[in-house]
Amino acid sequence: MEDIRYMFNIEKDDFVRAGEASSKIKNILGQLGMDSGSVRKIAIATYEAEMNIVIHSYGGQIVLEVAPDFIKVTASDRGPGIADVKLAMQEGYSTASEKVREMGFGAGMGLPNMKRCADRFCVHSSEGEGTIIEMEVDLKAGD
Amino acid sequence: MKRDYFHSVVLDDDRCIGCTSCLKVCPTEAIRLRDGKARIIDEKCIDCGECIRICPNHAKSTVTDTLDKIRKFKYTIAIPSLVLYGQFPGNAGINEILTAVKKVGFDEIYEASKGTEIITNVLKNCILTDPNRKRPIISSACPATLRLIQIRFPELLANVVDIETPIEIAARLAKNEAIKKTGLSADEIGVVFISPCTARVTSVKNPLGIEKSYIDVVLSMKAVYGEILRNLNSSGAEIISTSTCESLLWPITGGQGEPLGIENYLAVDGIHEVIKVLEEIEMDRLDGLEFFEGMACVGGCVGGPLTIENTFIAKSRMKALTKGLTKSATSEEEIKAQIGMYQDGLIRLTEQIEPKAIMRLDDDISKSIKKMEMIKEMLKHLPGIDCGVCGSPTCRAFAEDIVKGESKKAICIVKTTENLKNK
Repeated sequence: MEDIRYMFNIEKDDFVRAGEASSKIKNILGQLGMDSGSVRKIAIATYEAEMNIVIHSYGGQIVLEVAPDFIKVTASDRGPGIADVKLAMQEGYSTASEKVREMGFGAGMGLPNMKRCADRFCVHSSEGEGTIIEMEVDLKAGD
Repeated sequence: MKRDYFHSVVLDDDRCIGCTSCLKVCPTEAIRLRDGKARIIDEKCIDCGECIRICPNHAKSTVTDTLDKIRKFKYTIAIPSLVLYGQFPGNAGINEILTAVKKVGFDEIYEASKGTEIITNVLKNCILTDPNRKRPIISSACPATLRLIQIRFPELLANVVDIETPIEIAARLAKNEAIKKTGLSADEIGVVFISPCTARVTSVKNPLGIEKSYIDVVLSMKAVYGEILRNLNSSGAEIISTSTCESLLWPITGGQGEPLGIENYLAVDGIHEVIKVLEEIEMDRLDGLEFFEGMACVGGCVGGPLTIENTFIAKSRMKALTKGLTKSATSEEEIKAQIGMYQDGLIRLTEQIEPKAIMRLDDDISKSIKKMEMIKEMLKHLPGIDCGVCGSPTCRAFAEDIVKGESKKAICIVKTTENLKNK
């Protein structure tokens, strides 16, 4: 896919800027004229991925790629990785600290929510390595 | 469907000196400087009035009707916005103010509070009790917020409650009652709204969610203020008002959510803050939120661009005026009748509010992708300081304007100076 590509760096613990990448992605897709339902779905999924990088990882990046019929977002981080991906996919499972939970994050809905929003979704991760999440949302034709 | 769009916000070219004040505050980037004068891009403008407020030269104003327009009607009814009650110095009571309004030349005064009471009752007893409604339920009261949602948050249109605004409800009731009372026909009776709001002026001319407004004439509060003020001190106030405590607070931020008796409502004012919170709602981040009230003006309607008094002073006066008022109490039977009016469509938004995809670069996605690439490339070379001298509010908007072919003559002065220095 070579149509259009944007990259956003996401820093660990940077709660001030957290959400900026997903917000920018939403605006870009809106300007491109993508249907608003698909844009909303990918924006929500991207926000979850962005927050995961801020809260759980050592930092990483989010890449947006757009084709005329689908949108792809890849969120990758530099670790520490997820030991048991299957367990992490369960609703309510969370490794977030008490402090983070008090801020209203870490309810353990991140990965399941991303999966729900995306038409195609996959996680590659292992402990000690980084995590890569790939999500795709199809665009409605004729909009 | 495309029709000629009327905007209430207009520019006086002679007063505009081509500064960048309004460019910067416009929440939808609807203003450009062209040939040294501010130009409003019609389809982007939501009539919020931010530019009127900020303009140091008072070059931005509103087109409203003039008072002589009421003469063509045999019977006239004035509906003053409730925020008018907080506009006068001294200790003018509500009845004194309304009597002064009537003396401007109206046969009758009808209070907007009749509308606010109905909205609260219908929301509380019919809409909030319906589990099938999309949450949060978004108030339809602020027309600038509504237009903002159309442009920037089309996915949230489904959450907007399909009930009319207090003024429109009052106008409908007033007209119907007057027809019965006077025996005149609908077009012989003039319903006149005294407005604090630019976006509401637009909504009367270009209704949103209804076929046609019941308001025949809209006057700017600023324009009739003097007339009312001069009538104020004459003695003999009629007993006109039936406003309750709740209705007087309704046009102040929080005044819609508070009487609903629910815990989970959110009231936000100031168009830029409204945008931020709508973003949160659109991203599903406000779990459990029942009702959202977003007011474009700081303070709510009491801070409208066509008001005279300072927002906070007016707010405090309105709160003081509630002291002597009774609490709202509607009988079960009346509530049933009000719900009936809603179900019958009399006070309902019966027309679909369509999204307006004006942010898109091109109707063809592959073309807009190309344009986006060009913008991205151009942004690498622009200074990114968003000075506005080129006439676009930001460097990004400048690049967009060029790509869309809207800006042919504009140049980046910063870039040009840099190039000269390097030579």
